[in-house]
Amino acid sequence: MSTSAIDYTIDHPAVAGTPSAASIDEVIAAPIDSKPSKGWWIGLAITGSMLGVGILSISWLFYKGTGVWGVNQPVGWGFDIVNFVFWVGIGHAGTLISAILFLLRQKWRTGIARFAEAMTIFAVMCALIFPLIHTGRPWLAAVYLFPYPNQHGLWVNFTSPLLWDVFAVSTYFTVSFVFWYIGLIPDFAMLRDRATTKFKKIAYSIFSLGWRHSNRHWQHYEKAYLILAGFSTPLVLSVHTIVSFDFAVSVIPGWHTTIFPPYFVAGAVFSGFAMVQNVLIVTRKYFNLEHIITINHLENMNKVIVLTGSIVGYAYAMEFFIAWYSGNPLEQFVFLNRALGPYAWAYWTMVTCNVVFPQLFWIKKVRTNIIGMFIIGVFVNVGMWFERFVIVVTSLSRDFLPSSWGHYVPTAVDFGVFIGSIGLFFTLVLLFVRVLPVVSMSEIKAVLPGAQPSRH
Amino acid sequence: MDKTNNDTAGHKSRYWKSVGQYSQNADASEAKAREFMQGVTEDFSPDDMSGISRKQFLALLSASAAFAAAGCTNYRDKGEIVPYNKKPEEVTLGKANYYASTCAGCEHACGILIKTREGRPIKIDGNPDHPVNQGKICAKGQASILNLYDPERLKEPQQKFSGMGFGKTTWKTADTAVVAALRSAVHNKKEIAVITHTIGSPTTKKVLNDFCAAYPGAKVYSYEVFTNDVRRKAWKHSTGTDTFPLIAWDKAKLILTLEADILGSDGNYIEQTRLFAQNRDAANPRSFSRLYAAEAGMTLTGMNADHRLRVRPDAQIELVLSLINEIVVNRKTSRFANDAALAAVVNGYSIGSFAKKYSLSENTLKCLADDLVAHTGEAIVYAGSTLPENVHTAVNLLNEALENSALYRKDQSAVSHIEHAAREEWEALIAGLNSGAVGAVIHFDANPVFHLAPEYGYADALKKVPSVALVESQNETSSLCTFVLPIHHAFESWNDFHTRTGIFSLQQPVINPLYDTRQKEAALLVWTAGNTDAYTDTIYHGYLKSRWQQEVHPAMNTAADFSAFWYASLENGVVGFTEPSASFAAAGAAVSIGTNQNGASDSFIVMLHDNYYIGDGRFANNGWLQEMTHPASKIVWDNYAAIAPATAKALGVKNYDLIELSGHGMKCLLPVYEQAGMAERVVAVALGYGRTVAGTVGTGVGVDAQKLLTKAGGVSPWLYADFSVSKGNGTYELVSTQEQHSLDDSFVKDLHFKREIIREGTLAEYEEHPGFIQDERHKPTTITKSVVYEGVKWAMSIDLNKCTGCGVCTASCNVENNIPVVGKDQVRRGRDMAWIRIDRYFSGTPEEPTVSVQPMLCQHCDNAPCENVCPVVATSHSPDGLNQMAYNRCVGTRYCSNNCPFKVRRFNFYDFRDQFADGIQQEAPLNMMHNPEVTVRSRGVMEKCTFCIQRIMEARQTAIMENRPLKGSDVTTACQQACPAQAIVFGDMNDKDSAVSQAIANDLGYSVLEELNVRPNVTYRARLKNV
Repeated sequence: MSTSAIDYTIDHPAVAGTPSAASIDEVIAAPIDSKPSKGWWIGLAITGSMLGVGILSISWLFYKGTGVWGVNQPVGWGFDIVNFVFWVGIGHAGTLISAILFLLRQKWRTGIARFAEAMTIFAVMCALIFPLIHTGRPWLAAVYLFPYPNQHGLWVNFTSPLLWDVFAVSTYFTVSFVFWYIGLIPDFAMLRDRATTKFKKIAYSIFSLGWRHSNRHWQHYEKAYLILAGFSTPLVLSVHTIVSFDFAVSVIPGWHTTIFPPYFVAGAVFSGFAMVQNVLIVTRKYFNLEHIITINHLENMNKVIVLTGSIVGYAYAMEFFIAWYSGNPLEQFVFLNRALGPYAWAYWTMVTCNVVFPQLFWIKKVRTNIIGMFIIGVFVNVGMWFERFVIVVTSLSRDFLPSSWGHYVPTAVDFGVFIGSIGLFFTLVLLFVRVLPVVSMSEIKAVLPGAQPSRH
Repeated sequence: MDKTNNDTAGHKSRYWKSVGQYSQNADASEAKAREFMQGVTEDFSPDDMSGISRKQFLALLSASAAFAAAGCTNYRDKGEIVPYNKKPEEVTLGKANYYASTCAGCEHACGILIKTREGRPIKIDGNPDHPVNQGKICAKGQASILNLYDPERLKEPQQKFSGMGFGKTTWKTADTAVVAALRSAVHNKKEIAVITHTIGSPTTKKVLNDFCAAYPGAKVYSYEVFTNDVRRKAWKHSTGTDTFPLIAWDKAKLILTLEADILGSDGNYIEQTRLFAQNRDAANPRSFSRLYAAEAGMTLTGMNADHRLRVRPDAQIELVLSLINEIVVNRKTSRFANDAALAAVVNGYSIGSFAKKYSLSENTLKCLADDLVAHTGEAIVYAGSTLPENVHTAVNLLNEALENSALYRKDQSAVSHIEHAAREEWEALIAGLNSGAVGAVIHFDANPVFHLAPEYGYADALKKVPSVALVESQNETSSLCTFVLPIHHAFESWNDFHTRTGIFSLQQPVINPLYDTRQKEAALLVWTAGNTDAYTDTIYHGYLKSRWQQEVHPAMNTAADFSAFWYASLENGVVGFTEPSASFAAAGAAVSIGTNQNGASDSFIVMLHDNYYIGDGRFANNGWLQEMTHPASKIVWDNYAAIAPATAKALGVKNYDLIELSGHGMKCLLPVYEQAGMAERVVAVALGYGRTVAGTVGTGVGVDAQKLLTKAGGVSPWLYADFSVSKGNGTYELVSTQEQHSLDDSFVKDLHFKREIIREGTLAEYEEHPGFIQDERHKPTTITKSVVYEGVKWAMSIDLNKCTGCGVCTASCNVENNIPVVGKDQVRRGRDMAWIRIDRYFSGTPEEPTVSVQPMLCQHCDNAPCENVCPVVATSHSPDGLNQMAYNRCVGTRYCSNNCPFKVRRFNFYDFRDQFADGIQQEAPLNMMHNPEVTVRSRGVMEKCTFCIQRIMEARQTAIMENRPLKGSDVTTACQQACPAQAIVFGDMNDKDSAVSQAIANDLGYSVLEELNVRPNVTYRARLKNV
């Protein structure tokens, strides 16, 4: 490689150094083989408590009613839908990494794909709480939202974006889960083979579905994985597109915008990558996986973050431009209101976190600096949460008739449920790192130097 | 089907589904032919049915029924059930009965029509036959049904035991004790005081007379917090006669009100609004009236004025004198033109210097003077009842000079039965209480402890004598009394009222007394008789009837015998008869008009005024009324100190800061509300709030400003110039249903005009070019095919020329549709539940705002944005154009509300009946108040205006039974029925001759947010200002 021209044909190695296959098994299975450390227990205590707060909050919500939240007329949706969109967005990185990067034969994905996929599952689980609990009568919503045949001849409303959501998100969860599980089967078998206790042996035997690492198994496995990657790919685009329809299909200025589908998808990938990057930084450090989840992986993710962050920034600018260019005073008012109105602080938090900070990733030093990228990753997550807040709340709080304007102030229960969802997410992450390989053992071996036939 | 399949099987098909089919295996062919399982083929064949015969089937059926019945004989609930087989003659299940009666909510005694279902009163509307209120009733009257069912009404007599508070007692014990106390008072030659509100009933007056005759030394003290006493006194001063005239507002081309809220709280505003609105009809531009309002506070009248002049109440005298000077002296109008004495009085007052002194537009005042002169004989100047006597005297003179006495009504005048007690009488009473000269006090449904100026020291004096209170529920006064005796609600009572000449209005009970209560007159009758066994349920009924038989019936000169006359009168609720109204002598010119009350324009003046909804505090425990929004400030559940924004700035306070009013040894901390359009250095405070003993709902709501009243009064009994006003410590949050935006904020300024929510113009503009509103309207084009509605299609039109924003529609809707009270904390969170709200918009400057109001309810859009977003189809469109809600289907995603451009949908964030005030709305007997035709919505359900679907369905059923098509005019919505201005028209827009079609096609018709193409079925008629 000369200084004058960069040779883009050279891949960074997917794994640092040349670890042996056995050492890879050792290091990846280490957290599963060993007893949990004190740190892990402390972590679990914290996330478990947060989860407990969430369960209490939701119990109170079910007992008293939606009124325990801050939602009102005109702001009918608050933290509930903000959190829903936020968590669905977080999930997108996993699917993008595991499916799209797989189809594009990006070897660097192997180190992070498993974790990202797991986070997708967990994030979608967090997200799925909200559509149900946000309704006034969840016990009926759980039934009425599904198109089941019944004697009343009652049917769901196929013109409602909320119904599209039901299908989009449940499909997304199912496909992601199957994809993840299929990918896990060879590793389950590996763990079964390594198991030292009877319980582990039985559990991993069941989950590995009789996998024997046979050639035939591998052939089927690779096919299935490829097919599922193909299945998942459109979902990356469709899920958040449909989530954005919740807003875009309405008549409310600030919601009724054609830019929403691509803007939401870019934002989802943006926040998802930031979340995966954040969690991986901790995990690789904690479990000594720095040579498997290398700085190159993180740098690549940061590049995706700066790209999607720029798309998001462009979308923000374009919203303002279109508001002005459309000549629609209602539209113009909504955007000026975002930047100057009562929720201006939320808007500017969003812009700073999503547009300004990620731009620092243009500097190589920043995007390869662990502390730097971690902080920016956190900012992106905060910013993307606020993006949903700005869209949902500011648009509703000041819509058409000034007489019906109102202000939304979240309550302790709003925060409780949000904290609970964060608690659920990280509790699942912590359990995941103890019982499943955080990196695909089988796939990593396939990207070791010399593992594949090459032209050299 | 078989045939086709055989054909297919007959030749070698190119496609096959199984090897069997390919090989034309007989079994496979047959299986395919019978695609469905046996028994479910489309071809019904009895041969394939089960072998059981019809006879066997019936036998089995009856056997199983018999066994089932036998098995159920041991039914556990042995509670006795009673079939409705002895039904009262006039009650048909599911059918409402209407009874004419009289409202007792205030001294006006309007005629009402009470709707009852299965014996329960559920809705109040005006009695259409009553000549004063003509089918309309105010918010208090509408909501008074809640007082009947108030769970906190006293259920039995209460006696105070020393040191132990109140305990149950019996009427007999109470009667014995009261009679003994009364006799002892008579024996000791002590006075017996009976304290009452205004007496409007001649029979009640007779009861009181009988009582006074039986107990010599008994004296009746009547009072009201706000009275016409000053107006009456001034009238006497001007003309020498006692009765001031009522005004023919419908004949007035020009109205100048001076601090007189004729559309709100001054006089019978239901009648006044109707008469005023008659002349605000764009269909008759020639008779369109012009309203000038000179006022300090922002009142409903000022909000609806064509020109509003900010005038301090103590400057009103200067305004009137300046006008007299300008009109009579300068322009030499009227017979007083050369009256030197008058010229001397008004010398030094001119509209020029007046305008300058109070920074008003001199031009407007000139126009006013021109108008007054130009409309001689068809204009009226009207001073508010709180203004001092000299203003009234001057106004009487000005009206006389302008020959406006032509507008004094000759058909009717007010009737007074017992004069209000004067200050000296009260002082003597309290001195008597303190000295022991008064032996007993009877509170005849009155609350003087709360109402009288604290200076009198009534509460302390009361503790010294045995006292009894006849009340519906505990209040400040009753809690100090020895005996507290529960009385009937008006809907359980008999009475007659005579408050206008030529009109008797009857009150009849529509429900058996819910508790062990007595009508207050009946209690007095028992005491008069002095025999505790004298009470019967019909004692007062008999008394009333015999008075009518002996006094009223003979005077009527009717051919009908008494019984027929009596029942006819009860049926109509109102009896008209010939009675001369008071004659009005001309006001003399040489009246002395005290001129010493010229306000110093830099001092503070405190203006105590009547509130719009809770009366003198007697409706404090009525959550519906507490939750009615103030028309100007939109504040609920509180009173406050309204001050001008500039004054707030000078005091260094902003909204919700506390200010302190102190003077006369009294201090009062009040939250500030910066009311645009207030005169500077005026503090306006509504009375009636701050009750301390008023039940769960009413206690502690607002601030008791009653204590600022003094015996002597200030500028007038309600106006005080000697309070010092300063910034207090702390803040107090006021809650309103609309955000308070500063009028200086250019970002949100005039958005209602910019967004074409409100369209307005001037009368001149309209006369010149009637289509000016239509020219501005959006005409959305569509590429989709519109749904064609055949038959009836419901639509509403609201005339903003007539609508004053009084809110009676909201009150009526609340009652009709079982709308819960949510409480202050929920309104603060933006969760008020009113289905029809009155939007209020300010434009102009904080000093000189103009106000626009617009009732906003579900617009029943043809292209309703709420409908397509509901995931479970809980809201959908009916074939007659209604946007419907299916409550049991609703899961409460709130998406419909989010997507509603008008934000008229209301969500049950809680079970509000359980959530508000310790679940008081769930307590018995409040459940009996609900309209049985309207679902009581549970928590988590969206609701909204239904166009009174229950009334539509009822009309439809009637039409079907009568075998005729349903007409639009068969249905009247609750808001339409209640609107005193008759601004609301409802009906079938497919019927081109209907009033609603014509209103929609009107030149002034428009819809809100037309550019969205949601196609509302509610249209508005643009307001015209007659400037």
